[in-house]
Amino acid sequence: MITEYLKKLYETIRSVAGITVVLAIVVAILSSIFRGPYIIVNTVVTGGMLALMSIGLALVFGVMNVAQFAHGEYFMIGSLTAYYTFIPIERYLGANPNAALSFLAPLVSILAAFCMGALMGVLSEKLIFYNLRKRSRTNWVMNSFLLTVGISVLLVNGHQLIFGTELKGIVRYWTGRPFCIMDVFVSRDRCYAFILSVLVIGLFWLFMKATRTGRAIRAVSQDETGAQMVGIDLSGIQVLTMALSCGLAGIAGASLLFMFPSYPSVGLDPLYMSWFVIILAGMGNVLGAVVGAFMVALLKVLTMEYIGSGWDFVVPTALIMLILIFKPNGIFGSDVRGVLEQ
Amino acid sequence: MQTTKAKSELNLFDRVLDLLSLKPLGAIGLVILVILPLVPPFNQEYLIRWLCAAALIAAASVSFDFTAGFINIVNFGYYAIVGLGGYTSAILVDRFGISPWIGIFVGALSAGLLGFFLGIVTLRLRGIFAAVMAWFMGLALMGLATKAVWLTRGSLGLRVERLFDSPSNLPYYYVILAMMLVTYVITKGVTRSDMGLAFKAIGQNMDAARTSGINPVYYRIVNFTLSCTLAGLLGGFYAHYYGILTPEMMHTSKTVEVLAVAYIGGRGSLWGGAVVAFPFIYAMEMVRSSLSNLPGLNLILYGLLLILVMIYYSGGFAAFFQQHFSKPKNIILYYLVNGKKTA
Amino acid sequence: MLLEVKNLDAGYGFLHILRNVSLSVEKGEYVCLVGPNGAGKSTTLKTIAGLISPIGGEVCFDGETISGLAGYKVARRGIAYISEEMNLFSNMTVHENLLMGAYTVRDKQLEKNRLAFVYALFPQLEGRKNQLAGTMSGGERKMLGIGRALMCNPKMLLVDEPSFGLAPLLTEDVFDSLDTLIKEGGTILVVEQNVTKTLDVTDRGYVLEHGRIELEGPSAELARDPHVRKAFLGV
Ligand SMILES: Nc1ncnc2c1ncn2[C@@H]1O[C@H](COP(=O)(O)OP(=O)(O)OP(=O)(O)O)[C@@H](O)[C@H]1O
Ligand SMILES: [Mg+2]
Repeated sequence: MITEYLKKLYETIRSVAGITVVLAIVVAILSSIFRGPYIIVNTVVTGGMLALMSIGLALVFGVMNVAQFAHGEYFMIGSLTAYYTFIPIERYLGANPNAALSFLAPLVSILAAFCMGALMGVLSEKLIFYNLRKRSRTNWVMNSFLLTVGISVLLVNGHQLIFGTELKGIVRYWTGRPFCIMDVFVSRDRCYAFILSVLVIGLFWLFMKATRTGRAIRAVSQDETGAQMVGIDLSGIQVLTMALSCGLAGIAGASLLFMFPSYPSVGLDPLYMSWFVIILAGMGNVLGAVVGAFMVALLKVLTMEYIGSGWDFVVPTALIMLILIFKPNGIFGSDVRGVLEQ
Repeated sequence: MQTTKAKSELNLFDRVLDLLSLKPLGAIGLVILVILPLVPPFNQEYLIRWLCAAALIAAASVSFDFTAGFINIVNFGYYAIVGLGGYTSAILVDRFGISPWIGIFVGALSAGLLGFFLGIVTLRLRGIFAAVMAWFMGLALMGLATKAVWLTRGSLGLRVERLFDSPSNLPYYYVILAMMLVTYVITKGVTRSDMGLAFKAIGQNMDAARTSGINPVYYRIVNFTLSCTLAGLLGGFYAHYYGILTPEMMHTSKTVEVLAVAYIGGRGSLWGGAVVAFPFIYAMEMVRSSLSNLPGLNLILYGLLLILVMIYYSGGFAAFFQQHFSKPKNIILYYLVNGKKTA
Repeated sequence: MLLEVKNLDAGYGFLHILRNVSLSVEKGEYVCLVGPNGAGKSTTLKTIAGLISPIGGEVCFDGETISGLAGYKVARRGIAYISEEMNLFSNMTVHENLLMGAYTVRDKQLEKNRLAFVYALFPQLEGRKNQLAGTMSGGERKMLGIGRALMCNPKMLLVDEPSFGLAPLLTEDVFDSLDTLIKEGGTILVVEQNVTKTLDVTDRGYVLEHGRIELEGPSAELARDPHVRKAFLGV
């Protein structure tokens, strides 16, 4: 029994995915030994948030076959919502201090961002994708991708028109001394942001594996017709998927507000990064996206460490291009087939 | 109504039009564009500037559509390739003192080379993957332009010698108009030949095309190379017209602008984008300058229009025109719209 | 009448395939629809199952009109459709696929009963409970497809080419399981290429050619019909 499991484990490790993951872990450990543990800490904190973004991207691609170009905009909406929720609460707290509320205020803002992101997701699905789907499904992947380009332009400039271009940011969510992890000082915000991302990913995973609706989402991503045949309401699942995906991006945007103040094109960098992740992991592979997020985060941190800031963009791009050339399905493989052949 | 004649029976005018793949109406449009900057109110410098911008977008949308509308691959890094042409030319002129007129063509060559390379690396990729590949290639180029400060001066911007000494925009306008025409004539000429059919075939279904004896490798590479060469040419103009280059010009949002014009104009038509660009850019600039207290409104309209066209009228302006105006009853109008057909 | 199709017209986009197709299935009946390739048999089943919306005509099930309803609503009314390509969830295990089949079943006890029933009908499936559906052989996939459809305790089964791509021995197995279902009071409309076999086991049949019903009657009579013998049985 145990030998069987070991054998299975050994085979997993020997696959491309396994080799890459092991390699990534080894590199992370080695560089932490040589340069200091802050590399691992940074990687893990960045990776958590990146995972939230990438899950949403992978989900929408898997279930609806929409390659989201506007995913960063939901991140932006999240950070904007959090800003406009948090600032009034903070002002109120300035007048009447309250310890419990000041701990809860950031959580409330993040929750609001989730709701707002989800709402915008639902609107995008109902007003835009639904209409295209109803009219024509030929060349769907490309056409819906171009639609998301339109959505992105709309949202970015909508932000500029209504809220202006200035940076809308906060210094910190949670006051208090930074935590000290492995001799590295990590601010409370980063720490809580990481814990939050782990919690959310865990909940999401449970939802997908253990609930009836979660299973239905997976079923739709594997076979739409089959899902209809067993009585799954496709349009309901599509709305839900969009809501979840955009809501998660909203959470990411909100919980990183202290690092990325909200402005019209703040979503661009997270967008690129999460695209790196899903191409590395395999488009539509949700679980792979979680692992991939930490690998991309590591790559980013290492590039900054060894080559210099600014290149943290060029190096992953080059790597992603190599992956596209040699392993277009990503290292963990993609569930989504057929539709991509268009 | 039988207007089909053998090529030799056509008169000289129609033969020239046929050679240029233009309909009489298109020729009239061109003539109007030529004299437009000479008549008030369009003879003001800032309006000619708008015309230049419009002609640039028009030309870009034609060569963009040559890839997107035919082999069905959206070159999402299009403007990065424009930028490559621009930077190459600008750096050559700056460092080696060659004439910008030569630099432009070297720039075009370098862009074509990259297009060739891009064609090769995207060979195995389809649809969205190829688009993403081109996108990342564009991002990488932009990143390089930002980081290679010793060469490009990064985001400080590279000063570039202009094509003409005069501060007037008029000569530039005629240059870009000529480039637009050249772009159109070349791409249209290619797509009118058998090659155009092959492009459409591999765009619709690569496997079916392959089984019917069309070699997608060859056609994809030819298409990419030509489209990118033309993009590089436009990049050279951009550099030597605006006189300054920043990595920002290679940004995806620039590509999106071209893409929007090409799709609103009508994918696979080539002329649609060129026609739509002029009123479109004018309207956008108008909105921007008159409602300057509402920044971003023009781009919101852009996005909205793109979405509406994609959902409700995927053929764009060209399909609209084809449907409603291509078969007028009046003989003269018919001639204007359709020209004399050759057998 | 459990299922009644009246003057159905359907097709794909501008492609008009079915013209004036009428057929009916009684509760407990075993009915087949045969015809040459491309006649529109699969299209008929897809239209009944709500995966294609009809151009004209009506489909009634259990006394209510179901034509024009979305596929999932038809499924929830108790029509289980088993397509030619099965449409299994290939990255889920056999067990998960079966559970998905019971998506509309809210009652845990009923779900358990159905699971036991399906595993009893196809013991091979139980042995492969944790295998991914995508890695199964053609015959196993057929069984899983039928099993998944049975999970929701359907009032009626629409089966498209159960024997397609199967070795003769496996074909027998699959037909036997359909027989079992009929004996237990099920209702089946089956589409088949294997006309001899089908006319042998079913009660009644329809012959579809070029999108029209050309013949109908008890299967035994159809098997004797000169046109059918010439066209399908090669006699
Ligand atoms: N998705 C589709 N789009 C367009 N046409 C289709 C589609 N599916 C089937 N057709 C066409 O409809 C006609 C009928 O197809 P159908 O699948 O119903 O035939 P069939 O009787 O089931 O044939 P077979 O015995 O080969 O399965 C065929 O001419 C086919 O080409
Ligand atoms: Mg069939």
